Amino acid sequence: MKLTQQLHRVNLPKLCIVLLLTTVVISCQKELHFDKVPEKDYNLIIKFLPIATYDSVPLVLGKPTKNTFKEEYTPTAFKFYVHDFILSNTDSGHVFKLAQDKYYLVNFADSASTEIKLSVQPYVYNRLFFTIGVDSAKNVSGAQTDALDPANGMFWNWNTGYIMAKLEGTSPKSSQAGKFEYHIGGFAGADNVVKQVECIFPFQNNLDLKPGGESRMFVNCDANDWFYNTWDIKIADYPVVTSPGTLAKQVAENYWKMFTIDSVSNIQ
Amino acid sequence: MAVRWTIRICLLLFLGCLLVNACKKSGDGNSGPQLLDFPIPAGFPAPQYSFTGNPLTKQGFELGRKLFYDGRLSKDGNFPCASCHQQFAAFATFDHPLSHGFNNQFTLRNAPGLFNMAWNKEFHWDGGINNIEVQPLAPLTAPNEMAEDITNVINKLKADEVYQRMFTAAFGDETINSQRMLFAITQFVNSMVSANSKYDKVKQGKAAFTQTEQNGYTLFQSKCATCHTEPLFTDNSFRNNGIPVDPFINDYGRMRITNKKEDSLKFKVPSLRNVAITLPYGHDGRFSSITSVLDHYSSGIQNGPTLDPLLKNKIPLTNFDKFYLLEFLKTLTDSSFISDKRFAQPE
Repeated sequence: MKLTQQLHRVNLPKLCIVLLLTTVVISCQKELHFDKVPEKDYNLIIKFLPIATYDSVPLVLGKPTKNTFKEEYTPTAFKFYVHDFILSNTDSGHVFKLAQDKYYLVNFADSASTEIKLSVQPYVYNRLFFTIGVDSAKNVSGAQTDALDPANGMFWNWNTGYIMAKLEGTSPKSSQAGKFEYHIGGFAGADNVVKQVECIFPFQNNLDLKPGGESRMFVNCDANDWFYNTWDIKIADYPVVTSPGTLAKQVAENYWKMFTIDSVSNIQ
Repeated sequence: MAVRWTIRICLLLFLGCLLVNACKKSGDGNSGPQLLDFPIPAGFPAPQYSFTGNPLTKQGFELGRKLFYDGRLSKDGNFPCASCHQQFAAFATFDHPLSHGFNNQFTLRNAPGLFNMAWNKEFHWDGGINNIEVQPLAPLTAPNEMAEDITNVINKLKADEVYQRMFTAAFGDETINSQRMLFAITQFVNSMVSANSKYDKVKQGKAAFTQTEQNGYTLFQSKCATCHTEPLFTDNSFRNNGIPVDPFINDYGRMRITNKKEDSLKFKVPSLRNVAITLPYGHDGRFSSITSVLDHYSSGIQNGPTLDPLLKNKIPLTNFDKFYLLEFLKTLTDSSFISDKRFAQPE
């Protein structure tokens, strides 16, 4: 059958009425605006806590403390990027992954930034993984926003790349005007300091998330780890590390181990 | 008859409904930012920048243009991008070895012309910037250039009603952040395409070289084109071309970025398009004329461990050769580019 003949078979008045009704419905439809019910969109808070000495002394910005080499220092900034949170249960093999490209800048000068709120599938977990640093792709793909906004001061403007972790302050041991600055970055080749870290939970203290429940996890970040094991980074020897390279990599290898889950509280 | 009337009435009501729909409040009669084409000049390769994450629009371009010429991007208000990138000099700083920055300071290096930036892989003489979107942050925050802080700039823009309107027009809502500012500047700067010189017209068969220009072109192809590759007149590589280090500036070029000895004294090969109007020359602007650059290649090159192998024996040039080369290089000036009103300071 020819196309024109087919067209003749269409009942024009009926078509018009259908068209009209459709348009009436579309035109008269109220634009739907759902007022957001303030609903909690998280059930796990990971709280990062700065400490100065393993297992005991909290680190306070502006307050003097000592590193493992008995070098006195006063931290003034302590911050780092984390992303790609993963929870797992090594017994059952169950794994839950959170959005990989959502970045958080943990900044101990801004307490809100030290609490990371996540929505996690209810389960019993005994391992936490996350990545410290900013993946290579985000270092080469131009202007970013939110946590990765270069206005956050964690970006090298003349040698493109993110400062993945920063520890700075003053120290009488420093030969550089009494200051020390560790701005650690590097995303390419041997200079890459991006690392996934694995945290084991304290004995008999798993993350036990029930439906409708909420848990809090406290993760210690030990500044002292920046200075030793495996590499000795004395403020007297290296007061300034502010570009990617061998030294930055060594500091990073030291701080990769600074995270310890202190405790988990499961509220049902 | 009844059928016809049904059709007519239906059509009338249908149009009425469309009218109601068109007048709905949500769309204030504005269809959003208008997409602009990014034409690739004949013979050019595919650009490095694709505009996929940052679509080129009329409103984004105009916002970028305003930002480019706005002194408020600098600490004291005196140093817009355009203070070092002047259109009549193909967006280099005319007749200045080093440009001027905040508090009577010199910049570290000679300001390069800005054109065909979308074809660049890395930016700056040392290639330290890997994406054009983040390039403006370097001059903006350098203490001897614009000396500003990113957050301060964003706050200045947020407080300005014209910018509030222009950001909304370019990006759909009133959010003003560094990403949007950088996107807009990128749209403007990447739109600066220069491909309408006499050389281009000759290539397109619309003009002819004079005999001296042709002699120069032939010499150019055999002696210069390995690094200054057509049609962009650069191969975007980093090379040590035998310029001795300035003992006051101590600039070792790409080594500053890579920390590798083998990159010592290597600088980016600049494009030679518009070369006749981007004087002076060299990463620190030490050559005041094209002739002095040619003299350097024929007799001045300093040997060293990282000297480009192509220059081990210098580039022997007679005085005639230099004259012909100069005449050819002048055909690379794109006078329509430097007078293009789209890139001029907005009214």
